[in-house]
Amino acid sequence: MFLHIERGSSTPISRQIAEQIAALCAAGSLKAGERLPSVRQLAQELTVNQNTILRVYERLSADGLLEMRHGDGTFVSGNATRRRMEKQRRQFIDELGLVVRRGTMLGLPVDELRQLFDEALEAAASVAPPQAATSVAGD
Amino acid sequence: MPEPVIRLHNVQKSFGRTQVLRGLNLAVEPGQIFALLGRNGAGKTTAIRLLMGLIPRDGGAISVLGHDPQQEPLAVRAAVGFLAEDQQMFGWMTVNELLAFMAPFYPHWDRDLAARYRKQFDLPPDQRIKHLSKGQNVRLGLILALAHRPELVILDDPALGLDPIMRKEFNRDLITHLQGEGTTLLYSSHLLYEVEPIADSVAILKDGAIVKQAATELLRQDVKQLVLSAEDFAEHRDWLAPLDVRRQRAEVAVTVENAPAAIDRLRAAGAIVRVIELNLDDIFAAYVIGKPDDASDPSPAPPLAISA
Repeated sequence: MFLHIERGSSTPISRQIAEQIAALCAAGSLKAGERLPSVRQLAQELTVNQNTILRVYERLSADGLLEMRHGDGTFVSGNATRRRMEKQRRQFIDELGLVVRRGTMLGLPVDELRQLFDEALEAAASVAPPQAATSVAGD
Repeated sequence: MPEPVIRLHNVQKSFGRTQVLRGLNLAVEPGQIFALLGRNGAGKTTAIRLLMGLIPRDGGAISVLGHDPQQEPLAVRAAVGFLAEDQQMFGWMTVNELLAFMAPFYPHWDRDLAARYRKQFDLPPDQRIKHLSKGQNVRLGLILALAHRPELVILDDPALGLDPIMRKEFNRDLITHLQGEGTTLLYSSHLLYEVEPIADSVAILKDGAIVKQAATELLRQDVKQLVLSAEDFAEHRDWLAPLDVRRQRAEVAVTVENAPAAIDRLRAAGAIVRVIELNLDDIFAAYVIGKPDDASDPSPAPPLAISA
């Protein structure tokens, strides 16, 4: 498992680690049932506080992406991919809301925003067939 | 809640007419990695020297592992692993000679552990101490601090004089050897981007008092910069109690505590808010050099406890 931590980033360390593990699961580099490094190992490898790693594992387990088996280790959960999609969907909705807010802050009228959105949809449709959402590695 | 390993209550210290600590309050829980942050001259080294009973305090109370360092300095020094800033050691001794010399001073000195650290830290056993590099010196000091297996370790700016590679190895040592074994660690540092991944909690020291103490991760969730219009800011500024305010044309960027609640309240009132995540450097700067705005609000926000 290869992770890269950017120190001094405005993205908190825990979020960096969580997002990268989730991305590795989504991309299929981490497969369902695969064992992750122990909290201690990963902390040592990344030079990050053990409690931070523990919290990341706990959070990803609560999200259903990982499974912490007591005394046995932490594993990629069986339905990780599906869970990941739900999370990406929520994240997308948040980001879209942010973009729309920025548009209104720029003073763009609602009609123009709708038109821009339609144009973006058309542009996306002409570039790639609308299957991108299912292209992440399945099981 | 377990009894704190270190507790300072309203501690005062002056050197001549210069008041260095003005009512310092601090509590460190067992097993924590705790970082004391502050600019040069904020009082970090003075606080640490008081903890070790190296200088007397003028007022307030201090407890270290249940001892008052001023009444029982020897008990504190026997129980605490300590690395002073710029620690001086006997230059004419070799590394192994110094380790052998130090052992009898500590009842719990672990020769095997000292030897293991020496190998791990890559210190040549027969090198004279005066010929060690700065980084090797710090590592030797660290062995002296750790080899008696103390339950509390206090390090004064250990990263000072280490190059980036050594700092990374040193940080790894802290996680592996100290956190891995449940040791409590208090250390001071000015390298915030290095503190953030390591420390459970941080305290920010300014002008001899703590302006903020919080879990590192909660601090980042709690303190954020919000960008809003000048009108919205004017309407809400009274309750926002900003740490720092920057105006740019029609927009105002305010750094606030309790950011999630503030964002909700602003949005509920119809304000458009853009949220900027801050790193520990930015947060530190907001507390120590933040300007809470022009004449209209001269008083900085009082330090608040973070609620999770």
